[in-house]
Amino acid sequence: MRYTSVEFSSPKSVTVTEPLPPIPDPVDAAAIAPPKRGKTFWATCTSTFLTILLAEMGDKTQLATLLITAESHQPWIVFAGAATALIATSLVGVALGWWLARRVSPKVMDLAAAAMLMTVAVLLLWDIVGM
Amino acid sequence: MDWQLLSLSFITVFLAEIGDKSQLAAIALSGSSRSPQAVFLGTVTALVLASFVGVIIGEGVAAFLPAKLLKAGAAIGFALLALGILMKPED
Repeated sequence: MRYTSVEFSSPKSVTVTEPLPPIPDPVDAAAIAPPKRGKTFWATCTSTFLTILLAEMGDKTQLATLLITAESHQPWIVFAGAATALIATSLVGVALGWWLARRVSPKVMDLAAAAMLMTVAVLLLWDIVGM
Repeated sequence: MDWQLLSLSFITVFLAEIGDKSQLAAIALSGSSRSPQAVFLGTVTALVLASFVGVIIGEGVAAFLPAKLLKAGAAIGFALLALGILMKPED
């Protein structure tokens, strides 16, 4: 048990003792956190990768890059430009989500995220109808 | 190095993707996930791979890819992710 002690020297010596709130063991927390987070990381990464890959195959960005390639016959330069743009837009998107999550409650964020993903699903179905 | 072609590709793709489905998905997934880095990695890999396929296979891509089927699969995937977020256990 640990105590804080405050001493008063005058007029007569009084000692106040008070138990400290329990401090979580840092070793314990570190031992539990990584496997859980690791699993979440790859599950999130894979589900994001698969859904976005399926959505982008045959989408307008892909058609735009193949048209520019067909006209220029310089696939690597087109790929470099397209890849840089895609990294930039992804970074903006992820940063925006991260920023929003810091400003609204988790419940509101989850509802908004679910609504946005449903919107994306509807937009994809709309694309299919228009194809 | 053809800087004009590079910037043309960059600007075309950047404008096409800003506010598009994938970016909406990236915002939603990173906002509701504990690891935005994973969302970023997954998004970038998928997008870069899709544009790589577009550039390499060229005009043949539209002919042999069942784009409607892929998009339908993606729509189901996003709907499932949305349900997953709504039903995730409180922690």
